[in-house]
Amino acid sequence: MRKIFSIVMIMALMLFTSLAVVKTASAEELKMTGTITKIELAADGKSATAVLKDSKTGASVTITITDDLTLDKFKDKRIVEGDEIRTKYEKSGDVNTSKMFKKTAGC
Amino acid sequence: MTGKIAVIIVGCALFATAAQAKDHPGKEEILKDGYQGPKTCEACHPGKAKEFLGTVHWKHASKIDHVDNINPDEEHGMKDRIYTMCNGNDIVNNLKEVPPNALGKTKFTGCNTCHPGDHTSDVGSTGPQAEQAIDCLICHSSKYDFSKRKPVKDKDGKVVMTQDRSTEAAANIGRPTIKNCMVCHEAAGGGAMIKRGFSMTKEAEVHVTKGIICVDCHKVKNHKFPTGRDPNNWAHDGIYMTCTGECHSATPHTDADYNRHTAKIACQTCHIPKTGGAFSKDFTKWEKQSNGFYEPSTLKREVNETAPVYAWYNLTVKNTPQFIGPKGSRSDGKSKIYPFKIFQGKAYFNKKNGQLLSMDFAPPIANGDSLAGVASAAKILGIKDYEPVPGWQTIYFGSNHQVSPKNKALSCANCHALNGVLNFKELGYNSKEVEKLTNPELYFEKLLKLQQENE
Ligand code: HEC
Ligand code: HEC
Ligand code: HEC
Ligand code: HEC
Ligand code: HEC
Ligand code: HEC
Ligand code: HEC
Repeated sequence: MRKIFSIVMIMALMLFTSLAVVKTASAEELKMTGTITKIELAADGKSATAVLKDSKTGASVTITITDDLTLDKFKDKRIVEGDEIRTKYEKSGDVNTSKMFKKTAGC
Repeated sequence: MTGKIAVIIVGCALFATAAQAKDHPGKEEILKDGYQGPKTCEACHPGKAKEFLGTVHWKHASKIDHVDNINPDEEHGMKDRIYTMCNGNDIVNNLKEVPPNALGKTKFTGCNTCHPGDHTSDVGSTGPQAEQAIDCLICHSSKYDFSKRKPVKDKDGKVVMTQDRSTEAAANIGRPTIKNCMVCHEAAGGGAMIKRGFSMTKEAEVHVTKGIICVDCHKVKNHKFPTGRDPNNWAHDGIYMTCTGECHSATPHTDADYNRHTAKIACQTCHIPKTGGAFSKDFTKWEKQSNGFYEPSTLKREVNETAPVYAWYNLTVKNTPQFIGPKGSRSDGKSKIYPFKIFQGKAYFNKKNGQLLSMDFAPPIANGDSLAGVASAAKILGIKDYEPVPGWQTIYFGSNHQVSPKNKALSCANCHALNGVLNFKELGYNSKEVEKLTNPELYFEKLLKLQQENE
């Protein structure tokens, strides 16, 4: 029973990843530096959104984060509201998915 | 397919047991009485704080006897070294607030933010106050709230580093995880992945896929951390380590053809085929950021994006103002071929004596004026007689992490084909030897057989 369940999960995961690949193929990659005005973690802890205020234009951009390392940094508050972030993200429709999300730092 | 699933399930089971490490025996006490800093720990672990004050992690320095042109009786390290990956040190870049930039904004900067003290008790401080200032939890707690660790001004206007000393953090104690170490190591050199493209994830380091973490390889005893011989990581706690020893033998392969190579070629050369991070910086030219602050202009690369440079290394270091890197040769009987991450940095040299000058980053961060940074550093160090001229320095970093899966390790043709990664001539082989070393005769039959097996 357990085994079947995991097979189904793996199948679902495979389907999901293949869809994800197709989806990213049509997305455009953008870059920005901005200050975080809001972080919201999803209830399941597997994703989060961060609202960034673009340091150049002042515009607010909402970015979805799914990579574990960055999510972990939200959870233990290594990255918090007010921090300045350099990000690369993919825009696909209304969703901006983070590809890189780092605190800015001098030397 | 079934085989694969079984592997996944077994993998998860291992992971689960690892994650369910038993509670720290001190937990009840700490929950009852709260956490008052190291003295709480010392009730049961006497002497740990004093012991820690004697280590590189507290002193950012040690005596060094494998590097040219330094006095082996003096201690050096991040505390006082000057190079062009970060053109300063803990002294000239002591944690401080930078002057306001053109937008009126200011911020804190300083190398000693990566020190587990509170800045009042700073790099290398000693005595009972220093003992109580140690942030034990930054390495030992799995519930550290990092928003509580930051530079702030205290009521007297002094800049201090705050810590998370909550009961919650102190109640969740254990061996340091990758994350605990990466608090400081990830951003060494001026930001994530800058110095070496250092990443400890499953994707970037094969050992992590086996559940191996920093302190499994770096077997720390009494807070002395074993380290290797990266030519630009000088300070050490007196214990050296490498791939061989407790973990691997010098002949770990079932295939004798590989074992034959380990006398002359370091394990890292074949098993860490790529390096990464910034490969050049210019400290004479600072770039304005959109927030109004400036940063040294930097050419960056991701983890594993750069081909290493290969050189003979006998574990001693050439150290001049223009070059800090490996010494060694094919013929000295001690050297092996190692991979290095090479870096070139531009900064100011003192025309009067040829030495590299250091820079206080506070002025250039605020307004881009790198010469004001040199002037401030010279003042702090009491250097009066100097004339800054820009110039370049080349430095070699060891490439000792980011071990790739074994199917990505360098195989015969990666080196012995004409377009192989090693420049045999530069490594000291004569033309007759090069001809032999690049002759397919060396590997043809073997690789053909492998190819047939895999088809
Ligand atoms: C009430 C006593 C007590 C207090 C207080 C206490 N510990 Fe422990 N600790 C123990 C005992 C007992 C062990 C297990 C035996 C050993 O390794 O010495 C232990 C083990 C450890 C270990 C090894 C854990 C492992 O999984 O290998 C670490 C690290 C540690 N303690 C750190 C701390 C730190 C840091 C503090 C202060 C926040 C602290 N302890 C406070 C009793 C205590
Ligand atoms: C984010 C934490 C962090 C900051 C901030 C930081 N360092 Fe370091 N530094 C490290 C770590 C970790 C190492 C050792 C490991 C390595 O080299 O990757 C190190 C090593 C060094 C070394 C080599 C020391 C030796 O023993 O040979 C020098 C020199 C150095 N840093 C200079 C600086 C300077 C100058 C600054 C400030 C302008 C600075 N660092 C800021 C984390 C940091
Ligand atoms: C820079 C990181 C770091 C800091 C800061 C640190 N430790 Fe540790 N500590 C370690 C490591 C690494 C080990 C070895 C863990 C292992 O491999 O099991 C260790 C082991 C220990 C142990 C168990 C083994 C032993 O030596 O008895 C105790 C207890 C301990 N530390 C207490 C403390 C206390 C108390 C403080 C603060 C005064 C402190 N540590 C600060 C990294 C650190
Ligand atoms: C508070 C910041 C900080 C933390 C946390 C930290 N390090 Fe370091 N580490 C440094 C700095 C800074 C240096 C370089 C000091 C120098 O060379 O002057 C260093 C140097 C080292 C070295 C080389 C020098 C030596 O002592 O052998 C090793 C190895 C090392 N760290 C491993 C670790 C491991 C493993 C962990 C996690 C248990 C860890 N570090 C946690 C800041 C930190
Ligand atoms: C698979 C084993 C392994 C793991 C995991 C590992 N290291 Fe190392 N590390 C080594 C070896 C081996 C060396 C020295 C190699 C040599 O010089 O021959 C080294 C060297 C270092 C050095 C000296 C500078 C350099 O890069 O050569 C530092 C600092 C360091 N390690 C920190 C860490 C930290 C922090 C972690 C976890 C985030 C970590 N290591 C994880 C094996 C490991
Ligand atoms: C000349 C290149 C070369 C050198 C030097 C080298 N290796 Fe390897 N190693 C390989 C290759 C290629 C493989 C994968 C070959 C295979 O699977 O048959 C491998 C496989 C391995 C494996 C996996 C073995 C297994 O059966 O799964 C380990 C462990 C290993 N090497 C450790 C080391 C250590 C430790 C050193 C240094 C003493 C070292 N290697 C030096 C090329 C090298
Ligand atoms: C990392 C690069 C590298 C890889 C991978 C490598 N070699 Fe070598 N090989 C060398 C170097 C360098 C030498 C010369 C060593 C010396 O000076 O003794 C050498 C020497 C040899 C020699 C001795 C040649 C002579 O005339 O002295 C043979 C045979 C050889 N390799 C075969 C192989 C085979 C077969 C493989 C794959 C299983 C292989 N090599 C993989 C770098 C490599």
